[in-house]
Amino acid sequence: MSDFRGPAGAAQIQGNLTDRQKTMLNAAALLCVLGILALFNQYGSEYHVRILNNMAIFVTLAVSYNLVNGVCGILHLGPNAFVAIGAYTSALLTMSPAEKQLNFIINQLIWPLSVVQAPFALSLVAAGVMAALFAFMISFPVFRVRGDYLAIVTFGFGEVVRVLCNAAQSLTNGPLGLKNLEPYTNLWWSWGIAILTIVSITKLINSSYGRAMKAIREDETAARAMGIDPFRPLLLAFLISAFFSGIAGGLLVHLITTVSPTLFIFTLTFNLLIIIVVGGLGSTTGAVVGAMLFAWGGEALRIVENPVDLGIIVIPGIPGMRMVVFSLILMLVIIFAGHGIFGRREFNWEQLARFLSRGGKRVGSP
Amino acid sequence: MSFFEMRHVIVQFGGLCAVCDFSIALGAGELVGLIGPNGAGKTTVFNTITGFITPTEGDIFWQGQNIAAFPAHRVTASGIARTFQNIRLFGDMSVLENVMVSFHFSMESNFLLAMTGSSKHRGLEAEIREKSRRHLDELGLGHLASEKASTLAYGQQRRLEIARALATGPKLLLLDEPAAGMNPIETIELAALIRLIRDQYGVTVFLIEHDMKFVMGLCERIKVLDYGKSIAEGTPAEIQKDIKVIKAYLGSGYHAGG
Amino acid sequence: MTTTIFLQQLVNGISVGSLYALVAIGYTMVYGILRLINFAHGDLLMVAAYAAIFGIGIFSNPWIAFPLAILITGCIGVLLDRAAYRPLRNAPRISLLISAIGASFLLENLFLVIFGGVPRPFPRPDFFARVIEIGGLRIQVLTIYAPLITILLVLGLLYIVYWTKAGKAMRAASRDFETTRLMGINLDRIIALTFLLGSCLAAAGGIMWAMKYPQVNPFMGIFPGIKAFIAAVLGGIGNITGAVIGGFLLGLGEIMIVALMPELAQYRDALAFVILILVLLFRPTGIMGETTVE
Ligand SMILES: Nc1ncnc2c1ncn2[C@@H]1O[C@H](COP(=O)(O)OP(=O)(O)OP(=O)(O)O)[C@@H](O)[C@H]1O
Ligand SMILES: [Mg+2]
Repeated sequence: MSDFRGPAGAAQIQGNLTDRQKTMLNAAALLCVLGILALFNQYGSEYHVRILNNMAIFVTLAVSYNLVNGVCGILHLGPNAFVAIGAYTSALLTMSPAEKQLNFIINQLIWPLSVVQAPFALSLVAAGVMAALFAFMISFPVFRVRGDYLAIVTFGFGEVVRVLCNAAQSLTNGPLGLKNLEPYTNLWWSWGIAILTIVSITKLINSSYGRAMKAIREDETAARAMGIDPFRPLLLAFLISAFFSGIAGGLLVHLITTVSPTLFIFTLTFNLLIIIVVGGLGSTTGAVVGAMLFAWGGEALRIVENPVDLGIIVIPGIPGMRMVVFSLILMLVIIFAGHGIFGRREFNWEQLARFLSRGGKRVGSP
Repeated sequence: MSFFEMRHVIVQFGGLCAVCDFSIALGAGELVGLIGPNGAGKTTVFNTITGFITPTEGDIFWQGQNIAAFPAHRVTASGIARTFQNIRLFGDMSVLENVMVSFHFSMESNFLLAMTGSSKHRGLEAEIREKSRRHLDELGLGHLASEKASTLAYGQQRRLEIARALATGPKLLLLDEPAAGMNPIETIELAALIRLIRDQYGVTVFLIEHDMKFVMGLCERIKVLDYGKSIAEGTPAEIQKDIKVIKAYLGSGYHAGG
Repeated sequence: MTTTIFLQQLVNGISVGSLYALVAIGYTMVYGILRLINFAHGDLLMVAAYAAIFGIGIFSNPWIAFPLAILITGCIGVLLDRAAYRPLRNAPRISLLISAIGASFLLENLFLVIFGGVPRPFPRPDFFARVIEIGGLRIQVLTIYAPLITILLVLGLLYIVYWTKAGKAMRAASRDFETTRLMGINLDRIIALTFLLGSCLAAAGGIMWAMKYPQVNPFMGIFPGIKAFIAAVLGGIGNITGAVIGGFLLGLGEIMIVALMPELAQYRDALAFVILILVLLFRPTGIMGETTVE
């Protein structure tokens, strides 16, 4: 699917593949994914397509969130703000002026926005840019502090944005939100962005920039002594994370075709946190797998909240049950299996090959 | 003007004067020791030089600039590297990666080139990798390149810290108790390594050490610190005879000389 | 704005501030020892409110129900530490904080599952609900009692912390965790006591909060909790007196700003964060904190 490269040591292990071979394998995997998407696009039920779209959006969000929390090792609790900003930006750009007028009945939308309209692709770029711009603005207070303080400050910015979504009515239409967006988001868009995010962020993590981020995570003092100004790698991670989260926000609202402030409450951040913790903090592979499990599991768990009709009796749904399960999972993983599924390991072809050949031998030996 | 000079540096923590009116001048290519009882303020001197602490008063001249107010990363970029008393490696990264980090600040690329995997950036990465590998080989750590730093033996970790500091390309290297926790053989090897760094790399070395035999055998000049104040300076032979030094060490249970 | 309204708001601010103060103490005490923001602390407010509702339902006497609710909440606080934090004493800090966030969500949603999401009215005892008139001001007596009760409780706490053996151990632990451990003090006991005291105070705050805004729901603890945390930072985290002062200042500031500039009312919840960010930017050690070098 992408250029997952293991830690520096991987190249030394014998029986390794050449770069060319790996590129071929990556290309083959990409083709496979595209094939599967094409199949679902053609024959999949609406339900399955929706889950797949959700998966892609969560993959994008989780991989970008992991860049900050897992790779840089800081606890940022405000990705919901990035998603919100991207969502509103993108929605306000794709809606036609007429539709906007229908939506904004109490307060008028402020001027330039009330008349402009942009194609979806452009609106997504704008969504990413606006979110990154916001990240840039808050980065100075955020990176003045570390640890729990950083967590609470980013949480605070997330809340401030949520409050603004409700209050800045001539921009967001307040609690009423925006309705009747065009359902632009399809499998090609959502997975295209997801793959782009995975590939580019993986390349970044495996570059010198990624090493600087990890060095800060491991020991910030030592990183400074090695000539690294911590602010710069942290800011970089923050901006890139915000950029892709903003785009994901745009995708999300054009999937469900409405925007409402309740989409961007802290629960969104909480869900992303579960995903990257379960997948393994610091592992992009973990974030991808975690996100897919979450999108699928979240849908599967919906049954516990919906009434179940057994023909004779109806078991009423239990609201909140899903979150109980999720928070239990989070706590159990963090307490008993702190490394999650992947730890900090990444998928790589060599290990897969070795794993398969070992498995093959065992099957063949008796 | 000296190669490196600290003039009347004062560092205060609340009421405590951790470093009081400290001055020193180092010549290019010298190998100088800084000794003193526990809590004398030696590490604080290093922290002040390397920008982790801004001195309350005083100047630090280096390469024609006053670097007293520089942040740590700028000090490193200006050619002063250090190791830490309590080892601070990037534990979860490989030995090779630990060294590669040192080349980051001087890398001339940008994140967009990195994210798009441009060939220019890939070339730079390969270059850093190659340089780091060679560097590890030279310092006798080549065979450990793919090990996780936290799994190394203690002596190897100290060595890696030195290798990593050296990879930033310093002209002045500060070593904070490099021999601490090493066995006698490792200590001898370390002394050889430090000489090699000075002679072959042409790096000036300023080091803190409690092991008197080590310091006296290695350093050409020694500065003694007690309660934040410099109480003596001279050749090892002079320091061993200095009455004030003997008193300071007797007071804290150490033995000068040997 | 007339003087009457101004005074009314002033009293109101002090009263809200006293509740922030009670909750802030728990944050500050736990942070002092564990260096952990106990995210679930605010939810104890909600736990106490539910416990009080059922207490009154059973005993129909607030003087039995309230202390019982406070005690139960205190025990849940200790349980929280035992289950969610103690296993992570040697884990990376980020794990501890994540566990705290998980615990907070767990408490909220567990209560949602058990008691449903429909807000329950809080049975306000007449003793607190009475309204008196002082010089044209109509004030609910709770508004006056809240700061008084807070001050009494704080004095009690300060007595424990400064004059008892356990309190001294607690202060030693917050100054130097490792040394205290080496001195042979049972740290887990001290931490449990910290959680017990902090949670009991939060519970008292929660019950008064529920009497002031008599709607009890599983998520009612979030905002008072966050604001109390901000109050703790404002006062200088780790410092009990600071937390109290921070609580009063925040409550007063919030209410007065909205009173003076009513157009800011809808931003009230964001205001506290702005204050937090400003404090962290310009005086990260808070009002009462000493400036120490990290
Ligand atoms: N960041 C700080 N804040 C407050 N006091 C400090 C700080 N750093 C050092 N000190 C104090 O300054 C004094 C000097 O400490 P320093 O670490 O420089 O001593 P040292 O000579 O390196 O001792 P050792 O041989 O034990 O390493 C000590 O009393 C120490 O407690
Ligand atoms: Mg020292």
